Amino acid sequence: MTTETLAPDDRAGWLGSLCQPARETLALSRRAVLGTIRLPQAWVPSIFFPLVLMAIFSGSFGQAPGNIPGFPEVASFLDFAVAGAVIQGILIGGTTAGSAFAIDIERGFFDRLVASPARRGSIVAGRVMGSVALGVVGALLFIGIAAIFGARVAGGFAGILLVLLMAGILAAAVGGLGIYLALRSGSSEAVQGTFPLFFALLFFSSAFFPRETMDGWFRVVADLNPISYLAEGMRAPIVDGLDWPTILIGIAIAIGLAVISLAAAAVAFRRRLGAG
Amino acid sequence: MSAAVQATRLERRFKGGILAVAGVDLEVADGEVYGFLGPNGAGKSTTVRMLTTLLRPTGGSAAVAGHDVVSAASAVRRSIGVALQDASIDPYMTGRELLHLQATLHGISRRDVKPRATALLEQVGLSDAGDRRVGTYSGGMRRRLDLALALVHRPTVLFLDEPTTGLDPTSRLALWDEVRRLNGEGTTVFLTTQYLEEADQLADRVGIIDDGRIVAEGTPGALKAEVGDPTLSVTLTEPADADAALVALSAYESSVPTKAGCIALRLPRGSEEVAAVIRILDGADIGVSGLDLSMPSLDDVFVEKTGRRLEGEGEGEEAPLVAEPS
Amino acid sequence: MSARPLSVSAGLAWRSLLLVRRMPSVFLPSLVMPLFILVATAGAFRGIALLPIFDGASYLAFTIPLATVMGGGFAGINAGMTLARDIEGGFVDRLVASPAPRIALLGGPFLAACARSLFTTTVILVAGLIGGVALPGPVDAAVIYLMAAAFSVATAAWAMGVALQTRSVQSIPLMQVVVFLSVFLSVAYVPREAQQGWLRAAADINPVTRLLETSRTAELTGTTWASLWPGLAAAAILVVVLGAFALLGLRTLGRR
Repeated sequence: MTTETLAPDDRAGWLGSLCQPARETLALSRRAVLGTIRLPQAWVPSIFFPLVLMAIFSGSFGQAPGNIPGFPEVASFLDFAVAGAVIQGILIGGTTAGSAFAIDIERGFFDRLVASPARRGSIVAGRVMGSVALGVVGALLFIGIAAIFGARVAGGFAGILLVLLMAGILAAAVGGLGIYLALRSGSSEAVQGTFPLFFALLFFSSAFFPRETMDGWFRVVADLNPISYLAEGMRAPIVDGLDWPTILIGIAIAIGLAVISLAAAAVAFRRRLGAG
Repeated sequence: MSAAVQATRLERRFKGGILAVAGVDLEVADGEVYGFLGPNGAGKSTTVRMLTTLLRPTGGSAAVAGHDVVSAASAVRRSIGVALQDASIDPYMTGRELLHLQATLHGISRRDVKPRATALLEQVGLSDAGDRRVGTYSGGMRRRLDLALALVHRPTVLFLDEPTTGLDPTSRLALWDEVRRLNGEGTTVFLTTQYLEEADQLADRVGIIDDGRIVAEGTPGALKAEVGDPTLSVTLTEPADADAALVALSAYESSVPTKAGCIALRLPRGSEEVAAVIRILDGADIGVSGLDLSMPSLDDVFVEKTGRRLEGEGEGEEAPLVAEPS
Repeated sequence: MSARPLSVSAGLAWRSLLLVRRMPSVFLPSLVMPLFILVATAGAFRGIALLPIFDGASYLAFTIPLATVMGGGFAGINAGMTLARDIEGGFVDRLVASPAPRIALLGGPFLAACARSLFTTTVILVAGLIGGVALPGPVDAAVIYLMAAAFSVATAAWAMGVALQTRSVQSIPLMQVVVFLSVFLSVAYVPREAQQGWLRAAADINPVTRLLETSRTAELTGTTWASLWPGLAAAAILVVVLGAFALLGLRTLGRR
């Protein structure tokens, strides 16, 4: 051999071996974020649609608080609607992330990653971290815009941090789901075709309207739907302040969903490499 | 010399029992350019995917740069550079950003990442375009960036999958030069291609895979010699002279005239015999209006070994169904 | 020999309906989405009907016109999507090169969109019946069908006009977003009197508001002349204006 390999030699000791996965993950999440913000079609829908829906809901249901028996006490319907918009934005962002991952598989970038010494975990973590970053920024944006139109966060600064924390965990869960679908199908069309099912779940929950006012089988579905508890956990710091039981249930649900979807993504990753 | 790539009875069976690669044995010496040819679906890319650790073999073994592709996959990945066919290059990233990313993934130290990217951009002639988004690149520029990405960590074995497919002739020549230069520096190149001319130009040795098995292997020259001798077809000024010409050239094995006034000869000693043929015809006072010397090409090798053509066409010429009654 | 517009239109409508049977993935969403809107809206926002302004009306019944009109919208968008694909796929060029009159290119899809909206409306009314909402009488049913069909023609004209102007399937999201916004910036969830601020202002000037209100009165309390004419007028305006937009698009054929 006449050329020497450019050795990754400054990964000295245990510190270096901890450092390299972090560098890989950061570099890949940077790519995921750039791939979203540099392509308007990738981020505009995840901002536009939740905002429009939030606006239409608060224009339509403004009389609901105080006039409908069972409607929770809130300062305005807009306060009530923010959490739903955050969750919806994250779901749309997850569609984008999942189909971007599928496009990586379709077009061979995934092969390039797999044929490089990058750790398997970094490949998934990079994409998930990108989703988390975008999800948190999106949540902050929705809170900010709602605040311009008069919404207030009852939990104050700590409340905002809690909403962002839940948004971040949920974004990891949804990003993992997108990666799982991409790895299983290898097709961006399949990912985009599957995600609407999860939007449907959003409507069959208390993300947009309180469970207390629903009845019949719809109420049963909303009671069983984990998104209801997630939405209520994210809404509590905004409308009620630091209502810990509701918030902690919301965080627990978000973590549970994240664990399930990331584990599924890891298994799908192994299966794809095994089966080719 | 040690082997840069070595496969022993390498096998891959897919779900449903399809045997895509059915026991491939091949050996690529260090410093060699190995041309890997095969029709679509022959097992070519499955073999490459196994050698580059993208796919696990279901049988046999393979080692690249001395490391087993299964048990030492990460050592293989550190030694190889891979430029896969149509590999996606994000259109929204700049060439330099992609090189930084790739260098980071290869664990190149933080202070080396930037100079390495600059050097590689220079090397493949993209210095001016390095900070533009890849979406604005031409096909040739993308392939050169693709090559640069595969070179980030100075691999000892470079896998190039159809590196010039779809490129214009000028870009193709430029890429060939770059491959030759890299090989000159000692990099082993494993090249798959559908252009036989490319294999002929670049490869020290060629392997042809068909139906999951290597059906021919050797230097391009040896493979061509195996298929046959060069053929000279001579067009005569006077078509009526054909019989006289065949008599005069009876020393050569000639084939039946294909067209009126046209004869074809096999030249076992190669092209230097053309002059002798002309002299004989001149001596017999037979005028010549055209000459066409055709060397056996890798195409002929390919057709002989696989019964198929490589580039595009179907399963060969159709024979007439019924002979015309005379 | 020149073909008659009517028979060519019928042929194209037939082709488009055949596509429904052969490619259910294209058609199913335009049936499933209105059903989803009906069930999800009526279920999630049921509580809003407790406002006095609803006067005790069932929110499921209140939502039926939203679903039928939206069903017409999906049928119309489908016409535009198909045309955009046909333009990219070369089918339109073949048709333009044939002696068939160009107007048939629009006529066929209009007929098909109407047919689909009638079918979707029937499915929605039956779904309402299952949910406990009695079927409307013949006149009221006719008004509900008419409003959905008119919206399907108007949206088909819009979507096909966009397809002709852009000649690309990339414009499909534009077709969809405008139709969705036109419906949801009207009186999708509550009567105008309960709306607040800018949404009320948007609904006031949005012609789709009149379509929905006319259809809703038919569903809830019965059609009167006073409830009918605003919907008819809005339908006529939408069909004429958007139809002109689509015809304008036809003139681009063969020029580019």
